[in-house]
Amino acid sequence: MSKIRTISLKNISKSFGETRALSNCSFEAYAGEVHAVVGENGCGKSTLAKIISGVLLPDSGEIEILGGVNTTPLDARRLGVATIFQEVLVADEANVLDNLFVGSEGFFSVGKSESEKVREASELLTRCIGHDIDLFADVGSLPLNIKQWVVIARAILRRPKVVILDESSAALDLDATNRLHGEIDRLRNEGCTVLIVTHRIAELVRIADRATILRDGAPVGVLEKSEITEAKLLELMTPSDRSVMAQPNVDIKDNKSNLLDSIIEGKSIQLTEGSHSFDFELKPGTIVGLAGLDGHGQDLFARTLAGLYRQNSGTITFRKESGEFIDIDGLERASDLHISWVSGDRKKEGIFPQRSIFDNFAFGIYRRNLGWFGKINKRYAQKAFAQEVKRLKIKTGNTANKITSLSGGNQQKVLISRAFADQPKVIVLNDPARGVDLNTKRDLYKELRNFTESGGAVVYLSSEIEEFLGFADRVDVFYQNAIFRSLDYQSVSEESMLAAMFGQPLGSHVEIV
Amino acid sequence: MLITKTFRSLGSIKIPLILFMILLFVISIQAPKLFSVSGFSNAILVSAPLILATLALTPIVMAGRGAVDLSIGPLISFLNVTLIAWLSGNNITNPIVFCLWAVIAGAGYQIIQALIVTYIRIAPIIVALSGYLILTGVNLMVMSRPGGLSPEWMSSWSGGGEPQIFSPILILVLTALGLWGLFTRTGLYKQLRLVGSDERMAYTSGVRVDFVRIVAYALGGVFAGFAALSYTALVSSGDPTQGATYTLQAVTALVLGGASLSGGRGTATGALLGALNMFLITYLLGAFSFGSLSGYITSLAYGGILAASLLVNVVSNRSSVSRG
Repeated sequence: MSKIRTISLKNISKSFGETRALSNCSFEAYAGEVHAVVGENGCGKSTLAKIISGVLLPDSGEIEILGGVNTTPLDARRLGVATIFQEVLVADEANVLDNLFVGSEGFFSVGKSESEKVREASELLTRCIGHDIDLFADVGSLPLNIKQWVVIARAILRRPKVVILDESSAALDLDATNRLHGEIDRLRNEGCTVLIVTHRIAELVRIADRATILRDGAPVGVLEKSEITEAKLLELMTPSDRSVMAQPNVDIKDNKSNLLDSIIEGKSIQLTEGSHSFDFELKPGTIVGLAGLDGHGQDLFARTLAGLYRQNSGTITFRKESGEFIDIDGLERASDLHISWVSGDRKKEGIFPQRSIFDNFAFGIYRRNLGWFGKINKRYAQKAFAQEVKRLKIKTGNTANKITSLSGGNQQKVLISRAFADQPKVIVLNDPARGVDLNTKRDLYKELRNFTESGGAVVYLSSEIEEFLGFADRVDVFYQNAIFRSLDYQSVSEESMLAAMFGQPLGSHVEIV
Repeated sequence: MLITKTFRSLGSIKIPLILFMILLFVISIQAPKLFSVSGFSNAILVSAPLILATLALTPIVMAGRGAVDLSIGPLISFLNVTLIAWLSGNNITNPIVFCLWAVIAGAGYQIIQALIVTYIRIAPIIVALSGYLILTGVNLMVMSRPGGLSPEWMSSWSGGGEPQIFSPILILVLTALGLWGLFTRTGLYKQLRLVGSDERMAYTSGVRVDFVRIVAYALGGVFAGFAALSYTALVSSGDPTQGATYTLQAVTALVLGGASLSGGRGTATGALLGALNMFLITYLLGAFSFGSLSGYITSLAYGGILAASLLVNVVSNRSSVSRG
């Protein structure tokens, strides 16, 4: 097979202030291949994607993309590069069709005729989403996963020669991810170069033809299809002085917590009107995983436990040390009972972007430790912060800097430290590891395990089922807004979870595509 | 079914449209004189400056970043006093020169605003506020008090003779609307909506965001020129003091017409309806005799109706979201 080179970067460097995102990075990709760019958070892979799509200019080095040079997104577009960014970039005020064909119009012409646009768009979207959608509806009225498809379809409709997917499957559930992989295959067969920038190692092992691994802003290896395995990738991604651990692999003992009284008990919970009801039980010293396909209620249930959502009917009670049972009927109550909430959607539910790292930490705890006349006890907070920073190995720099100066993983660590500092009895985490690198994940698993060993209880929702393996004592799999099956740690496996997520009866088998 | 569908396709202008119908209905009972040739031609003459001023705000607000051009009133006032003091005062009364000056100076001013917003990256509202203050001062330097006289050909516009419906003022308004209509058929218009709705998305999709913004401002400037011409025809003289009033009224009309101040949404029909509604409210209140209170009552009514229409908008949006 003669390979046509589509992307060639030579000795690219890019710095943001003090931080060196890419240093002397070279990179090549060819037509008709799915090329994965992998690495830990902050290794420079998103920067690389932005340089190829013309959003960022490198400080030095040579770029050649499809025989040209790009300095703006417009150049990149003209050369045939289409990028699907990590954020779902859509214009809420405009309709689906305009969102799909943005930039295809000239200044005084509208480009293709509308009927042609409608035909192309509806064909593609029906294939991607699985059903028709109204192309003239405002995008703002659509759910997030459909918006994500709009963004993906926008790139495909341009008939690009290079497509970059920057963590683009983040908002898609498993089923949708499979359809996306179908589209990726189609593009590859048409001779397109598909770059996938991803954390999901399992995903890229399945679909990538080649992989470039970045570490500290430079490539540390390029793997061919046959060499791409989880173990190999992890070995390259992780600096040699750290031990490799793909999955949490914390020893789960069949511990004595089974004998303890549960700390949270739910009876005949019905999440939404008309859904099945179920029971729930959380014992101190355990980690319970919540899993399910997107929109099957696991998210609502996590919110319910944290007092952010009220179930339709049924009771969820918290057992205080005195043996008294208290209904968790709101956020304030949850907070009084020391139930902490950590969200993976940092931008929306986690950080205060305009405030400092320290403030972001202290918001959670100053309330319980007020001094005279409600004065904030800063010294207490500082002490607690110093402790947490050390324990969670947060790279902070100057803690008076804005929280947004930290990488995503470190922001998440600050949020988790906020939860820990509140001396919680129960921590509810909603996909906390989304967009977080492997080492951070590992630290997180360890901390949560330590927390349960000292008597705490953890509810952990994740969209990546690999996370539960060897970590959760039990996984409750949701299907149609109710717990469909509870799997204890012995029966937790990718297959068993998937089967339950799709509502399959016990013993049946789901093919992982 | 068909009715609800048409109704939904009206989108942001459905509330101004309903208000318009209600006002027309009440007026037809309370003050039917509006529906006569003289009533009509007067209505056009009086409402034209506001319609055009609101139209001038529309492309700018659509460009996003919360760009509400507060300087629109003083800009119209500036064009008005310079037309009278610099042109008419120096015996330059050629209609073509008159129109060109208004349109080119208006567009020029807005292009400068756009360049400051784009390249110096100052928030549009601050730029507009500075422009407001500067132009208010400049206007008083050009003409310290209302005065001067518009050229003869222009004073005939304001119905010097027989009242007529197809006056030059109406043609001015129709030309502006036609220009907008042409604009909406270009790719530029689609790009403007996308830029206003999500600038980063537009940029990364290869839209020339800066250029689109500059064109939007320039178009707003052209409409400001139209507004100044109709205003000059209305008052037949120069008046440096009316800037603030027009700014407030045009912004009110803009919102009343359903434009989104956060960008991306705005229509000429909305601007037209918003401004017409303002006019009709004044007209209707004029039919009652509030005596010396009428000025206060008018502001009160503007404010009340503005708040009410936003409230209705919020409520109707919420119900359509929960349905969907």
